[in-house]
Amino acid sequence: MSKRAQKYSAYTDTWQTLMDVIIRSASLDKNRKLPLVLTSLAELPEDNSDGPAISFIHGPPGRNIALAIGLRAALPDTPMLLIMNADAVTLGMNHLIHAARRNMGMTLLILRSEVTDAVTASPVQRTNWHSFGIQDCIEKRATPLELATSLEAASVSRGSIDNVDQLSQLVNDAMNTPGFSMIGVTSDKGLPLGVLSRTNLPEYFDSYNEWAEALRVSIAEKAAEAIEVVTEEEPAKSSRNIPRHEVRIAGIGGQGVKLAGSVLNIAAGTHEGLWTTQRGEYGSATRGGPSLVEVVAGSKRISYPRTDTPDVLVLLNQNAANQFADSVKPSGQTIVDADHVKKVPQGAIAVPIVRISVENTGKPIASGVVSLGCIAAVSDVVSLESLKKSVAQKLPAKLVVKNIAALVAGYEATCKVLKGEYNG
Amino acid sequence: MSKFEVMYGNQAIAEGAIKAGCRFYAGYPITPSTEVAEILSDRLPEEGGIFVQMEDEIASMGAIIGASLGGLKSATATSGPGFSLMQENLGYAVGSEIPCVVINVQRVGPSTGLPTKAAQGDIMQARWGTHGDHPIIALSPGSVQDCYDLIIKAFNFSEKYRTPVIFLADALVSSLEEKIELADETVEIFERREPEESPEDYKAFAYTKGGVVPLAKFGEGYRYHVTGLLHDEKGYPTEDSELVSQWWDHMYSKIEDNLDDILLYEEIELDDADIALIAYGGTAMAATRAVSLAREQGIKLGLLKLQTIWPFPEERVKKLAVDMDNIIVPELNFGQIRSEVERLAAGQSNIEGINKADGNQITPDEILTAIQKHLVAGS
Repeated sequence: MSKRAQKYSAYTDTWQTLMDVIIRSASLDKNRKLPLVLTSLAELPEDNSDGPAISFIHGPPGRNIALAIGLRAALPDTPMLLIMNADAVTLGMNHLIHAARRNMGMTLLILRSEVTDAVTASPVQRTNWHSFGIQDCIEKRATPLELATSLEAASVSRGSIDNVDQLSQLVNDAMNTPGFSMIGVTSDKGLPLGVLSRTNLPEYFDSYNEWAEALRVSIAEKAAEAIEVVTEEEPAKSSRNIPRHEVRIAGIGGQGVKLAGSVLNIAAGTHEGLWTTQRGEYGSATRGGPSLVEVVAGSKRISYPRTDTPDVLVLLNQNAANQFADSVKPSGQTIVDADHVKKVPQGAIAVPIVRISVENTGKPIASGVVSLGCIAAVSDVVSLESLKKSVAQKLPAKLVVKNIAALVAGYEATCKVLKGEYNG
Repeated sequence: MSKFEVMYGNQAIAEGAIKAGCRFYAGYPITPSTEVAEILSDRLPEEGGIFVQMEDEIASMGAIIGASLGGLKSATATSGPGFSLMQENLGYAVGSEIPCVVINVQRVGPSTGLPTKAAQGDIMQARWGTHGDHPIIALSPGSVQDCYDLIIKAFNFSEKYRTPVIFLADALVSSLEEKIELADETVEIFERREPEESPEDYKAFAYTKGGVVPLAKFGEGYRYHVTGLLHDEKGYPTEDSELVSQWWDHMYSKIEDNLDDILLYEEIELDDADIALIAYGGTAMAATRAVSLAREQGIKLGLLKLQTIWPFPEERVKKLAVDMDNIIVPELNFGQIRSEVERLAAGQSNIEGINKADGNQITPDEILTAIQKHLVAGS
């Protein structure tokens, strides 16, 4: 038995050579941590506890590249050494392309088939990775080294399994190169050996850390700059006893219905101290499809978010009125847009909601917010004050004044309608 | 002091994950789960964690396995098509006992299906999607509050039992906005422990009955071997059938011996019920409402709301089948949980489903209509 074979008796010939390369490359830079070795090679050693202190991951074929990305993120100081063969250019090809393209920090050794052929006998293992398979006579070769070069990998090189010294130096060099390095391992004497290409682009996680640090700084700066808004302590839980209260607003995309749902939800949940839910179905502003929001609020947790029988129903156009007018609770209140709903349902009140939006903001986009003013006028579940706070929270600063004006105008117009002082 | 916040489901999942200690996310965006990734792409770097968008869901699953081995609590989020791609590496995580959380916001399948519409069609895929026998834990949130509370549980179970946990949300809860109560400092967060043994004595895959040994941070002093092959207690591949059968015993007992901890469900008005519903996920919202409406009409309807889907709460369902003449199982699939209930009821109770997979949801009215005929028959 050779000296090397005695050292790692559990290993096959290829692995004995590879273990020599791993140990020798590690010894070339003693300041560097030992690498983690990820491999899918079938001839993996069994118990290597007598061998060198290297940890192995025997991952699913091709997927070791993905595993190495997660490990690299978690263990930034530990070199990731991948030893793959055909799986790198078959199952692993997509991962290989993106890891090389993004310069993910790892060293990938691809063993050409003649290197593993020496120790394997079964027909499947004798297939060549430079094509994809058993019928390699009809396929063009896969060229991973050229591919990695074209993707501007940090370094691309070729070593020989018969030259452990040089191969160890190439592995050492690759592990000291930040980013994605690939080493083709051959025993073909006709191929050029050594470093084939090199770039000097930032490693992915180095870029990430720089970006993340800048993000943290900007968040901290924003927090420091933010003007402290003095607000009254909001009640976490309302002292009022409010039974399940359902609100539905139905209009079209571009009327700000979705936003109104969120504003009402925050007003009821945060400022009134009620339990709430909010859901919707939205059309886009450009297409103007039907848009609907449903808010349910009450003193008890809301188990179901849909409003099959609303207490307050706002209908912004005739289609919505046709669809939903009958759903309102007998004790409920329907509010329709005075200009866009021609047939006012029995018991409903008409308020020129869209017109008020245009008057206050120049656009119909605040119709949802105007509707909330109307809702505050017909029901005491959510106050106008709570809605104002919620508008200020939910809208960009430059839009707050106009939207609060629209909200208040909706409230006042509805009060007038209720008193019979206003008629469109 | 309790803190409350208005959130939508995917946001609650993301914030709950951060609270649970998730510090690595790898994923590929897909409707209706995309907001989980969007939020974590900001929140993780803010918390010192790492977010990586991957080339596909196969790689996403691989990367979270790697990060978890490296010591970070890790998660990915997807929907049906991506969940299908994850099955290969999911099996690797099951077999090599690597903690991770896989969030699947379900939509109508198969294939691309109805991308924006809610479904509960991945129940059996969560159980058996990856090949071979295997234990698994799957939780399903029935509200935004559940999204937050149960994702914390998902991370805890995953760490405690060293297993992937599948989080089966659906588009009904993922886009729903709700005021929820946030966890305070008293909430249980299961942190990864250091092994008690010295590196020489450490067996990363010890065949412990009913539990697991802590997973040492890979490559940091503790040396072990990780493989998808069936392995001995140190992780080296084995084909010894005696060892393999001990391995199976360990794998199943770590879940089955801890059902009291893992099985989460709520019983709503079940004590005096004449008729019972079994529901989970977004459909449990309509079922809960149906119970309130039925009670208003004097009908004694109760609900078993499942939060843990796998392992299945077999004993509780068996008992329910003994107590009830009729059990109705509404779900957004063609009876994936109903068939489990039927198996366990073994003829002791009439089991009926309300099933849809057309993108619509099941309403409280439909549930009330379904129970009506049993009331007439029973009176």
